[in-house]
Amino acid sequence: MSESDRMQPVISLRSLHKSFGSLEVLKGISFDAHKGEVIAVLGSSGSGKSTMLRCINMLEIPTAGEVVVGGETIRLKKHGANLAIADQRQIDSVRSRAAMVFQSFNLWSHMTILENLIEAPIHVQRRSRAECVAEAIALLEKVGIADKRNAYPGHLSGGQQQRAAIARALAMHPQVLLFDEPTSALDPERVGEVLTVMRSLANEGRTMLVVTHEIAFARDVASRVIFLHEGIVEEDGPANKVFGNPRSERFRRFISTFER
Amino acid sequence: MELLHNFSFGPGGWGAALLAATLTTVAVAVCGFVIGGVIGALVAWAKLAERALLRFAADLYTTVLRSIPDLLVIYLFYFGGSLAVTQAVNFWGRDGFVGVPPFAAGAMAIGVVSGAYQAEVFRGAFRASSRGEIEAGKAVGMSGLLLFRRIIAPQVLRHALPGTGNVWQMVLKESALISVTGLVELLRQAQIAAGSTRKPFEFFLIAGAIFLAITWISQHVFSCFERRTGRYAAGGLY
Amino acid sequence: MDPFFIRDSFFQLLSGVPLTIELTVVGFLLGLVLAMLIALMRFSRSLPLRNAARSYVFVMRGTPLLVQMFLIYYGLGQFRPTFQSLGLWQFFREPYWCGILALSFNSAAYGSEVLRGALNSVSKREIEAARACGMSGVLLYRRIVLPIALRQALPAYGNELILMVKATSLVSTITMMEVTGIAARLISETYRPVEVFIAAGAIYFAINFLLTRAVSMLDWWLTPHFRGVPKSRQQERANV
Repeated sequence: MSESDRMQPVISLRSLHKSFGSLEVLKGISFDAHKGEVIAVLGSSGSGKSTMLRCINMLEIPTAGEVVVGGETIRLKKHGANLAIADQRQIDSVRSRAAMVFQSFNLWSHMTILENLIEAPIHVQRRSRAECVAEAIALLEKVGIADKRNAYPGHLSGGQQQRAAIARALAMHPQVLLFDEPTSALDPERVGEVLTVMRSLANEGRTMLVVTHEIAFARDVASRVIFLHEGIVEEDGPANKVFGNPRSERFRRFISTFER
Repeated sequence: MELLHNFSFGPGGWGAALLAATLTTVAVAVCGFVIGGVIGALVAWAKLAERALLRFAADLYTTVLRSIPDLLVIYLFYFGGSLAVTQAVNFWGRDGFVGVPPFAAGAMAIGVVSGAYQAEVFRGAFRASSRGEIEAGKAVGMSGLLLFRRIIAPQVLRHALPGTGNVWQMVLKESALISVTGLVELLRQAQIAAGSTRKPFEFFLIAGAIFLAITWISQHVFSCFERRTGRYAAGGLY
Repeated sequence: MDPFFIRDSFFQLLSGVPLTIELTVVGFLLGLVLAMLIALMRFSRSLPLRNAARSYVFVMRGTPLLVQMFLIYYGLGQFRPTFQSLGLWQFFREPYWCGILALSFNSAAYGSEVLRGALNSVSKREIEAARACGMSGVLLYRRIVLPIALRQALPAYGNELILMVKATSLVSTITMMEVTGIAARLISETYRPVEVFIAAGAIYFAINFLLTRAVSMLDWWLTPHFRGVPKSRQQERANV
């Protein structure tokens, strides 16, 4: 890989704005995510962190600004007062490279766990079935639920479902993993098993963007922390610096409410 | 103008006849619906009874009546009823064939069939009713008829309203089947007019339009009822 | 009450069963195709298409099937010269085709509502996950939306099949000799309505019973994900 490839950010957000009707949620977000970074996105409810993440794979369309994924600028067109997707094929391709893990897992209920994992690789990425199945089994072993591969999502616990969802995201060979509050819908006992998986992914050098409430995870695993407040980036820097010496008073107060 | 003349109310026009036939349709539907309501309530009560025999009989009733075509039931009541009446009359001395009034036969047939559907509606409505409220009624010393009248029945009726609305629409459309007995309801009248004027398309179209008007009005009436009884449901005053 | 007479009627009525089955199947399938078309129209972006579909459902569900059948069989006969010049009169004078048309058009209205409800009930979350994997358009519908929606629609649509069987009895009023038609003839010939009713009722009951079981089995086969947790590892391996 050439030097310029290594320097080129995996994700680039430029002046991202998003309004829902008259409510402006994102008021100009700009940052770059580089390869290998594990970025924790923190902020109180309503700060816009989930919205920002969903703008990256265009599950929400920004009202202004630019999103660049893997060097490719996502093309949007005017649609009345708002913007809309200009090129569906580009979006589909981008989405298969920026895999998302949802708060409510969102596994497909009518397919087994194995089928959930091979669905997108076979039908969106057009890879061979044998290859996808073999890889899926390996991924399920990696996240620790290989014995559940023929079970249906409804038969699994929350923690198991989320681990399956992570495996599903990994099965697409993504350049970056997007986590939207992955542990918020889990019972406290189950949170640990998912964080363990995420920690091992970070140690492998994967590029991860994690919107989360888990301050401990942000402090111990993330390489970089971004703090959002009311749609603006208030804090952005290496994890140890940000936690050790926060510049913003609000962020200081934010982490203090979680520290015991 | 000939078109309009056909539907007018003067001599040579069919307006008056159609109006009378429409009233017959509504009347036989209402009678059938009420009979069905009574039967349905009884069958629902049997379905929820403790004795297995009652439950079995009720289940058999609803299963059978929902599997056979309504037309067959109408034939049964009309021809069977006529046969029974004829035999009775012959027994008492008079000769000849006596037909049972098609209105009665039709209403009975519709009642028996809709009773099966109304039983299911009542059963579902009962199960949807809040056991807690019934228990509270018992706890303050209500029982028997009082409990039924003040607590159980209002709840069941409220939950039964949407399903009952559906059954009413069904009964209304089924009334058209009674035309095979010769009863001069809307469809039969349209048939007669069509045969006389050689304009079946117009008259069947107008019959359809009148049915549509009645179903549309019924829908609004039921919505109104649902809104009024729903006022006390969770969520409060709308 | 003569058991032998019931048995004889039974065998006479049996000769009407093929026609009943045929009308049921053709009417149901045609109705299903139309129902899908109308359901898609309900979801279309174009307002005229959506309104056309809504009006269709409103009219077809608000008027009796018998009126619709008479309208097609007798009513269209008024325009015989027009149809003859178009070469279509062959179809519209046959009670068979008029019956099929009425049955399928009517069923399509009810069926489209079932399909619409099923499509609406597909979890937005599962659709979002599919979009996030890069699925869209036809692929999204084919692999995710339709399989979930069809499984949801199955019980209610199975009911439509039973209703279709009962509806075929109406074609006896336009001169067709399916089971009810033969029953009506038998009653008027023998004046024994109760026995004929029992025989005919038994036939319809049997047909509907078999169909209900078939639909139940199909539903069971298609929805392993609604069943409980597998009891043992052997059972799980059996799912491979």
